[in-house]
Amino acid sequence: MPYVVPLSGGDITSFNVHNGFPEALVRGFRSSFLTEYDYNNLTQCENLDDVRLNLQETDYDQFLSSQTKVTPALIQEKATTKLVKEFNYLKAQAQEPLVTFMEYIQYEYMIENVMLLLKGTLSGRNVEELIAQCHPLGLFAPSTMKLIPMFEASPKGYMDLYQTVLIDTPIGDYFSRFLEEHKPSGHDSAGGDDANIVRNVLEEVEIEIIKNSLMKLYLEDFHRFCKKVGGDTAIVMCELLEARADRNAINITLNSFNGPLNEPHMRSTDRRRLYPAIGQLYPEATSDFTDVSDEAALAAVLEPYPVYREIWAVHMNESFGNKSIDDAFYERDVEMLELSFEGQMHFAPFYAYIKLKEQEIRNLVWISECIVQRQRDEINKFIPLFTDSAPWKVARRAAR
Amino acid sequence: MVGTNLTQVLCDSDFCNTGWPTILTHLSPFGWASMGIAFTLSLSIVGAAWGIFVTGSSIMGAAIKAPRIRSKNLVSVIFCEATAIYGVIMAIILMGKMEDPPASDKIEVYEWTTAYFAGYALFTAGIGVGLTNLASGVSVGIAGSSCALADAQNGSLFVKILIVEIFASALGIFGIIVGIIQSNMAAFPTPP
Repeated sequence: MPYVVPLSGGDITSFNVHNGFPEALVRGFRSSFLTEYDYNNLTQCENLDDVRLNLQETDYDQFLSSQTKVTPALIQEKATTKLVKEFNYLKAQAQEPLVTFMEYIQYEYMIENVMLLLKGTLSGRNVEELIAQCHPLGLFAPSTMKLIPMFEASPKGYMDLYQTVLIDTPIGDYFSRFLEEHKPSGHDSAGGDDANIVRNVLEEVEIEIIKNSLMKLYLEDFHRFCKKVGGDTAIVMCELLEARADRNAINITLNSFNGPLNEPHMRSTDRRRLYPAIGQLYPEATSDFTDVSDEAALAAVLEPYPVYREIWAVHMNESFGNKSIDDAFYERDVEMLELSFEGQMHFAPFYAYIKLKEQEIRNLVWISECIVQRQRDEINKFIPLFTDSAPWKVARRAAR
Repeated sequence: MVGTNLTQVLCDSDFCNTGWPTILTHLSPFGWASMGIAFTLSLSIVGAAWGIFVTGSSIMGAAIKAPRIRSKNLVSVIFCEATAIYGVIMAIILMGKMEDPPASDKIEVYEWTTAYFAGYALFTAGIGVGLTNLASGVSVGIAGSSCALADAQNGSLFVKILIVEIFASALGIFGIIVGIIQSNMAAFPTPP
């Protein structure tokens, strides 16, 4: 009898059938985050060997034991390797639809890797070096990885790149949709035209815009998938993804002020195409963004949204409070991700675990860099996780 | 058959139905009683099994990073198992009330009223116990799963969440108390 796994994760009575074990695993991993006590010890270290010793007491254990010389880059690489091992272990224990959910988490890193490889090849760097720099969570088949940097800048080369490489990757769907959007009107899809379109797009459109467009399509697709899974997963994950989409929209607008995207005719076509079709700011605020060309106008559009008004206030007070808009967004993200662990029997802890562990790795790298460069005053500027008494949490509670 | 105040007879055979009530009265009380026994056993076991798999998978996963929770949290599994035991106890009690049916030549003199009452009482006692144990088992299982995960993060939470489980398993006890009282009144007459 064919075994049909239901698409939904299940409600509280049936979730544990397929997903009880992986969920319990990821909650076990949650207890392995560095605590306030660990961060205290780390910030008082004199050099990186002390850091290594202190990390041996934590869940990181012996991850640096075979290395003679410790550098911040090495810490980042080894910590990421540990995270990827844990992720792959979780994925091996998972069943549908959790497996597809975890693959969606990986697509983001695949997009980053493909962009890195394309950018690197266009500026003529070495294939091996580029592959070594790719994020390990976003690797696809090694043969595909090797093929991307090897395309030639000829029509046939672009065609090959598109048909054999980009389409076959799991994110190929996003590429084809992206190219559909950028097809100049009046072209129909004859074979030769496709190659020209690919070449035009890759040559003329900036890599950053390609990346933002792919991220937009990815977020919308992930959002749709979570809605299909339904239940608590849909409720929590859709909120997390919408927060991310809003963050992207605001950042794209903010970063475009000094660039070509700020021209009036570009705003309503090119820049508007980059805003994801999910989130609090969609559709009203994102269509208002077409009239925004400076910070004052942006502040006016964000006025009706209390969360973004607060974050914008942080940006306005940047010189006083010493916090940038990125820090404000990070803090909001971390708060939401920590809260997603609160409910049981949904998939959001898997997503939150990856994101929070990455934040922890960023914290570790920040602390190591500060130690190496002897910048003791800056060393406390990391965001500790799962600690109620962290200064940024106290400040947020006081502000409410 | 039973009763003589039948309404208009529409056909001559002995096996005709004369209305909807005959659907109920033509089901033998021994059938009602046996189904009651089957339901009490099977529904209780479905509830217990459901609870055990819900809590068991969480205990296994959580015990990987926090091995200390292994033995303590088996209490949740024991609570679930208790609902299955209630079902078995009730089934045995109900089976004790069963008697042989009358021989075919003694059907007229058998006390069918008492037999019907016994049949209905055993059936509903069985269904009552079975459904309450089903609910209780699922409830204990879900609470036990949360208990294991919380205990893995913070050991002091175990006893507090156990109280939730105790209340959940009390539901099964309510069922079996009512079932025993109800089945007490039931007694099949001895076959003549």
